[in-house]
Amino acid sequence: MNIPHVFNKKNRVLLSELTKTDFKLRYQGSVLGYLWALLRPLMMFAILYVVFAKLLRFGGDIPHYPVYLLTGTTMWSFFTECTSQGIQAMIIRGDLIRKISFPKYIVVVSATLTAVINMLINLAVVVIFALINGVTPSWTWLLVPLSLVELYTLALGISFLLGAINVKYRDITSIWDVCVQALFYAVPIIYPVSMVASSSVIAAKIILLNPIAQAIQDIRHNLITHETITTWNYLENPLLEFLPIILIIFVLVFAALYFRKKSKFFAEEI
Amino acid sequence: MAKREIGSRKEIIADNDIAIHVSNLSKSFKLPTERAFGLKQAIFNRIRGVKGFKKQSVLSDINLDIKKGEFIGIVGRNGSGKSTFLKTLAGIYYPEKGEIIINGSLIPFIELGVGFNPELTGRENVYLNGALLGFSRSEVDNMYDKIWKFAELEEFQDQKLKNYSSGMQVRLAFSIAIRAKGDILLLDEVLAVGDAAFQKKCEDYFRSLHGNQTVVLVTHSMENITKFCDRAILIEKGKIVLDDKPKIVAKAYKNLWS
Repeated sequence: MNIPHVFNKKNRVLLSELTKTDFKLRYQGSVLGYLWALLRPLMMFAILYVVFAKLLRFGGDIPHYPVYLLTGTTMWSFFTECTSQGIQAMIIRGDLIRKISFPKYIVVVSATLTAVINMLINLAVVVIFALINGVTPSWTWLLVPLSLVELYTLALGISFLLGAINVKYRDITSIWDVCVQALFYAVPIIYPVSMVASSSVIAAKIILLNPIAQAIQDIRHNLITHETITTWNYLENPLLEFLPIILIIFVLVFAALYFRKKSKFFAEEI
Repeated sequence: MAKREIGSRKEIIADNDIAIHVSNLSKSFKLPTERAFGLKQAIFNRIRGVKGFKKQSVLSDINLDIKKGEFIGIVGRNGSGKSTFLKTLAGIYYPEKGEIIINGSLIPFIELGVGFNPELTGRENVYLNGALLGFSRSEVDNMYDKIWKFAELEEFQDQKLKNYSSGMQVRLAFSIAIRAKGDILLLDEVLAVGDAAFQKKCEDYFRSLHGNQTVVLVTHSMENITKFCDRAILIEKGKIVLDDKPKIVAKAYKNLWS
């Protein structure tokens, strides 16, 4: 997988055709079609909003809490959709892998790009809601794509690594489902970081070392309110501040190398 | 787990008359002995020191040179290793030992209609399958009408593929496949699709290849071997047992059962 090869024309065409197909097939045969891409995260948001904002009164001191919450759930849905599609991709496209010779990473990337498209649609909705909610546009909105790239890079790394193992050991799909459930509570999506900080500052700091938490808090900070607690404004040690990013790069590089090594044998193992 | 030895497969463009060079090629598969899929079984096997698989040798020590412009047929019983050989040439399987050198651009048709999706329309499937065969969108645009004309299915373009009969699907797949241009064609049992009239068209296509292109054809039809090939090889238990004129190989193939 040398670099010019990765981006050659033939592979780009294949990537775009597979992505289009994935996207078309996702909502094939459902009455509301593509609308589900919007409805699912909005429904999840509605449930969390009623339970945590209204009943349990979380986030009372955070301005624009509903959109703050919506931003978090949207990004979380993106991350989970991206990884679960990416990990399953090789199994779903096993037919192709068995019958033609092509770079296997295309299958993983095309599956995750569908999640990216969904996320971008949802992000547009978040922005509209934010404006309705009275959030004033700021220059920091321009920084949001950086965090999106970061989150996508992590999801892609996990997909490459676990997807490659999943070809042989299908248990990975189930294990990852459980991990995702656990991670959901480890990331400050439904609860504000300040709530954790009020009982334990150390715990809050550890939470913010998670790359997913770092990316989501950054997006909230840059998009919704500058009062958001982020890895950058909460941790004092500059080395620790960069830990989440170093972790992401490490995961991607390791995963890509592992994937490359294993991909030679996918055709016979799948 | 023992480290797997790996052979090599290279694609080059060189100015000599050898299209495919294969030397000392061996390939084996690991067949799981119990239902070794799953982490639990893998861990148990490791603890008990049991290998969760049995090694099945599929190809052993294959040596072959195919000249440019040669139309070569590969025959053998079911399970003799012909398809594995073709898939290894195509780069789908990795050679375990030995060397493969492919000189020129390669077009493998291991199966027709790879990636065909019943939920997509005929049109969408043409573009998807085209991309899988290495065509760009504009290349497919250019040959789009010819594909449907050859398949004789123009009026079904915007129907979903699930509403096609299986014969129609194969005809469409074949029409896309033959648009692929390359120096070396690998064909696995893709001859003779559709009804008699369509078969005639296919035959004309294969005749047109003769002499212009290097073709490796895997088939069970001795009629096709003698009709199209210049040379044939017989594979038995993963070894080349005969490499001769098509007529002689066809006779030897029939003698396998008598």
